[in-house]
Amino acid sequence: MLLELSQWLAKDIRAFNVFGYITLRAVLACLTALVISFLVGPAMIRRLTAYKIGQAVRDDGPQSHFIKAGTPTMGGALILVSITVTTLLWADLGNRFVWIVLWVTLAFGAIGWVDDWRKVVRRNPKGISAKAKFFWQSVVGVSAAFYIAFSTNLPAQTEFIVPFVKQVAYPLGAIGFIVMTYFVIVGTSNAVNLTDGLDGLAIMPTVMIGGALGIFAYVAGHAVFSKYLGFPYIPGAGELTVICGAIAGAGLAFLWFNAYPAEVFMGDVGALALGAALGTIAVIVRQEIVLFIMGGVFVVETLSVMLQVASFKLTRRRIFRMAPLHHHYELKGWKENQVVVRFWIITMMLVLVGLSTLKLR
Amino acid sequence: MGWFEAQANLPGKLRAQPGRSHNHPVRFWIITMMLVLVGLSTLELHWETKGEG
Repeated sequence: MLLELSQWLAKDIRAFNVFGYITLRAVLACLTALVISFLVGPAMIRRLTAYKIGQAVRDDGPQSHFIKAGTPTMGGALILVSITVTTLLWADLGNRFVWIVLWVTLAFGAIGWVDDWRKVVRRNPKGISAKAKFFWQSVVGVSAAFYIAFSTNLPAQTEFIVPFVKQVAYPLGAIGFIVMTYFVIVGTSNAVNLTDGLDGLAIMPTVMIGGALGIFAYVAGHAVFSKYLGFPYIPGAGELTVICGAIAGAGLAFLWFNAYPAEVFMGDVGALALGAALGTIAVIVRQEIVLFIMGGVFVVETLSVMLQVASFKLTRRRIFRMAPLHHHYELKGWKENQVVVRFWIITMMLVLVGLSTLKLR
Repeated sequence: MGWFEAQANLPGKLRAQPGRSHNHPVRFWIITMMLVLVGLSTLELHWETKGEG
């Protein structure tokens, strides 16, 4: 919206041309999202508390978590409001990638919202059934995959890019691309949701990965940089840098309230939406493997649950003291803060490894 | 309770815990990150002054 306004104003006042730069709009999007969340956050937390929208704590979880019962949840709505308003303000609204990422983010947010609402307000501990949740996630994931697959202009936009190796890209074809896109979006969404179990644990890696994907989006959407770095050129992908900025800003502001001891939890409405947003952006900029590397904490948390369930079903023995993995370390004696900050440090390292693929090929 | 504070609305047992008021370091990190962002924006955002050149 502001881009169109600045372009109109630039006809008379040349200085407004500066808003045409994606990098500047990404930084401003980040700051705008921060400010919106800071202003709306306290009121929203008060409202959630007043409506008694408090988190139920799993009764088989670590005892140290029982104290968290009643902390307001569904704070992810704050992140979604902030990202949406900021994107509408700063992004180029004629860009199809912007709309597809917004659609996936809000649709997954809606699924999470219904699940949270049933759990917290209706006091139905099961929320949406796992099958129904997966069905709706699949509907959104497949619809996004179809749209991206059939709106691409160049073969490079559907190739599977292997990081660290120059000019190795496997053509996936339409079906292969749709299947992979579906798994990346739905998988990332659920992985972030599983990780969201300690104060600040999920949001900070999301901020870091969102920021890094913003750099990849900028490179992929820049004809000169993409050619220089050997990346496929994806016209229009650069605009996703603005959304990445909004995700980083909204996430950082949410961390302000979500840092230990959390005043609010994001709930499924935030976790599912943010995971899906990261997955969609990674697919558009053709960096699925890099997302897998940078989101190593999400991957390991998910694997820990899968291994724990499989092991218990097959051998009646548990591999971890508790799954997801962050609870295992808590039960080993690490303080909540230690687990969280150490997982952040690991993510920082993994994001650096991911960013090194820009040059190291 | 100010603009950026909502702690007063936490459930009583959360507030009462003496060990549960340690989010200040993280908030200082967030402020630093915001300032770094502002610093980075100077890469692109600088206006010409009249006396220049």
